[in-house]
Amino acid sequence: MRRSQADIAVTAAASAAYWAAAMLGAPATVMTVLGIALIVCPGYVWAEVLVSPRVIGLERVAVAASLSLALPVLGGVAINAAGIPLHRAAWAGLLASAILAGDALLLALRRTGRRAPPSRHAPPSRHASPSRHKDAPPLAAWHAAAVGVAVVIAAGAVVLSLASAAKQAYPGFTQLWLSTSVRNARVAALGVGNHQGGTSRYRLVLLRQGHVSTTWNLTLSDGQTWQRMIPVTDGYSVAARLYRLPDLARPYRYVTTEDQSPG
Amino acid sequence: MTAASRRQIRVQEGPDHTPYPSPGRPSDLHPAGPGGRSQRPALLDEGDTYPAQRSTAHRTVTGRPADGRPGGGRHRRAQITDTPATRAYLPISVVALSAATGVLVVAGAYSAGRLGYANSRAADLAYWLGQALIVIPVASRLLSLKFLAASETAALVVVLTVAEYLVKLCYSPTGFAFVDELAHWRSTVNLLHTSKLFTVNYMLPISPRYPGLEEVTSALTSLTGLPVFVSGLIVAGVAHLLFVCLLYVLFRHIGGRRLAGVAVLIYSSNPDLPYFGSMFVYETLAVVFFGLALAAAWRVAERQPAGRRAGWLTIAILAIAATTVTHHFTSFMLVAALVLVSVGSLLAGDRYSAAWLAALALVSGGVVVCWVMFIAPGTVRYFQPAAAGLLQGFHALLAGRFFAASSAPPGPLSNQALAAVAALAMSALLPAGWWQVWRHHRRQPWVVGMAIGSLGWYVIVVIRLVAVDGNELAARAATFVFIPASLIAAIAGVRIMRAGTMRWRTSVVTAVALVCALTFLFNGLVNGWPPYWERLPGPHQVAGFERSVGPEEIAAGLWALSALGPGNRFATDLGNYPVLGSYGDQNPLRDVAYLYTSPRQTPSDGLRAQAEGVRYALVDWRLARSLPADGKYFPVDPHAGKYTHPLPILDLTKFGHIPGVSRVYDSGNIVIYDLRGAGHAP
Repeated sequence: MRRSQADIAVTAAASAAYWAAAMLGAPATVMTVLGIALIVCPGYVWAEVLVSPRVIGLERVAVAASLSLALPVLGGVAINAAGIPLHRAAWAGLLASAILAGDALLLALRRTGRRAPPSRHAPPSRHASPSRHKDAPPLAAWHAAAVGVAVVIAAGAVVLSLASAAKQAYPGFTQLWLSTSVRNARVAALGVGNHQGGTSRYRLVLLRQGHVSTTWNLTLSDGQTWQRMIPVTDGYSVAARLYRLPDLARPYRYVTTEDQSPG
Repeated sequence: MTAASRRQIRVQEGPDHTPYPSPGRPSDLHPAGPGGRSQRPALLDEGDTYPAQRSTAHRTVTGRPADGRPGGGRHRRAQITDTPATRAYLPISVVALSAATGVLVVAGAYSAGRLGYANSRAADLAYWLGQALIVIPVASRLLSLKFLAASETAALVVVLTVAEYLVKLCYSPTGFAFVDELAHWRSTVNLLHTSKLFTVNYMLPISPRYPGLEEVTSALTSLTGLPVFVSGLIVAGVAHLLFVCLLYVLFRHIGGRRLAGVAVLIYSSNPDLPYFGSMFVYETLAVVFFGLALAAAWRVAERQPAGRRAGWLTIAILAIAATTVTHHFTSFMLVAALVLVSVGSLLAGDRYSAAWLAALALVSGGVVVCWVMFIAPGTVRYFQPAAAGLLQGFHALLAGRFFAASSAPPGPLSNQALAAVAALAMSALLPAGWWQVWRHHRRQPWVVGMAIGSLGWYVIVVIRLVAVDGNELAARAATFVFIPASLIAAIAGVRIMRAGTMRWRTSVVTAVALVCALTFLFNGLVNGWPPYWERLPGPHQVAGFERSVGPEEIAAGLWALSALGPGNRFATDLGNYPVLGSYGDQNPLRDVAYLYTSPRQTPSDGLRAQAEGVRYALVDWRLARSLPADGKYFPVDPHAGKYTHPLPILDLTKFGHIPGVSRVYDSGNIVIYDLRGAGHAP
């Protein structure tokens, strides 16, 4: 049987492709696919290096996938300890290095005959491939079709949940705030946010020491916010009343700042 | 078939009924095969079936070892060649189709809940119909006395796990909503923003010290550009599936695929597994490394060439390190598990295995101690309250009184009855399993270790009864205690089924086994998460965990972060607590009930608030309109479980009358007060 090193080539190509795509600014879908490949490949390669070819089937897949998850965990700690920020380039460098180092080691092991390529994991002998489930019947066409339908139904369930979550009716609300700036206590942010589910009209009345200082009439669409910075003075109370038009009889929302000095 | 002919078949098929030599002959335990590897036999062989079925099966003895490789050796086993007579009536594809349909039906029930029918009986019934469509075909297939191929067993395990994960995903498909998930979401976002580990998480300060989950998720997010929520779902889903698969692999090593299938089925009845076990929390990822470490330890302890062991040893050490970096409690449990199987090996007379496992336990213990000492010293403080509660409970028990029950409402009587029946059944199965272990498997190290570990089942029953917040502690421990308990219960269950087929029709035996398994599984679903009062998603509930997280709460949290900056010490109720801590990146305090449960603020309240540095108080008027779904309004609530009416409105409006207090935010249901002017905080 011809010894195939295709898996080594594919994993090395995956890491190279990710770097190339990142540098060329590839579309999000391409980056998603290559990013996932970059995370998966090290687990595969190192499982090939560390696990005997006799271990096959679910155990091998589970070990490879677990190693894929373990690498960012342990590698991230090492990178952080080295003082390198954990941004995209660092993660990509870590994973690509792991792939290439694993590939090199695997190639050496295969050249010395200590590891067999994937095609030789399961020799054609009926005794040698029990975990390939020779005891299981071949998947009939209608079984495959049923599994396909099951996948479609499960995807439909998720879509249904997403749609109903998007349609879930929450009570609308309007935010009113008046808070002194974190950086400058002499100004306060006065704002209104409309989350009523549609356009709303408001009247905002600013009071200083109980007297009307300024009035704004606002029309805000759903999700829109309005904000002004207003000056505040120590010892003077500032309040704001928000009316939701056409009801001007009672304030819809109310906020106030008091003198911030104790007592 | 006569009893004599059955006996004859068993004799002809070799040692699969008595897979171990007599206890006094340890040298026979692991005879070397052709490659020098041990031939650890399974408790129930790869090709094994039940006695009553054997008359229809054509048998060929292949003498495969436990991992299915060719070879002779002493422990030859009978492989039953598949024939139509033994093939089960329910193909895996139909099981998958049924499970997918079940997920769809559950999603329909959830949708009904979101659209205003959360309390509808029809929606509730639809939920249970969906769960039945998922669970019953898988359980009946795994317990069937018909032939089950290795791939089929694995596929059934995968179908059940994936289906239940999709159910969890459909519950909250647009964002994390559970308190722990929100805490880890915040840690992940912090990691992405700072590109550094060990950042501050006010809500769950210990979580950044165990950053494994956040590392994997932020790596995925950084590399793919996916949102944190989607990356989190992928990581949690893959981790959940991997853990169950590794558990199955471990059980298969120990007992063969038939037993492994039944054991995983019983493990799936762990109330924490379907939901909490697949959440975006650090334990979900850590248990993968826990499972990998144990599976690798099993391989390390095999007799094999040094070259082969080196690979598994490397994997075991990597898995131990990854577990330690990812979750504190799981790493402690890993040390305990390795110690247990090491002791089990000693008791079984296998010193070779005991030495390797003890070495791994030592490595594991050393790594954990180093991590706690140098990276996560806060771990000790984190566990202090739980340990104190446990000790308090045991002291109370010794003094002759039960200490504390859960503050959460006990739930419908039917739920409690199901929980009691399941607990009794498990408690009865375990001694039967121990008896089987003593009779047939006491020379198998891992089985002995698991038998000892299964004693933990009774410990968590006691914890549930005596400890403060015992349900919480017991639920956390159950993830690990269920591993040995499910294996030992499966040994008992399979043996009872075998014995049953000698006396009764196989269909009757299967039906009884199915009823028992469904009792376990539905107990896990009924008494697991989400609790009965938020089984379906729906409108806001006070102190309702997922149902307390809505647009208004999230908007308040986001406003707090943008307007006030991160890390302000906030008083808030249980429902708003996770949102303020995650979306708001604030520092919500747990023990603040005193601020909300009196009509006037007393000087002592003011002094206490000052001492605790409370800067802001979030008031949710709905606390004065509804009783808390979870039995308590605040994370630490001295009146938990005792509320008979909602909080008086005066207890909440008092903040507006305290001199110096500013009302800085108002969104209708939620008002935020700035307490700094009252001298409560710096």
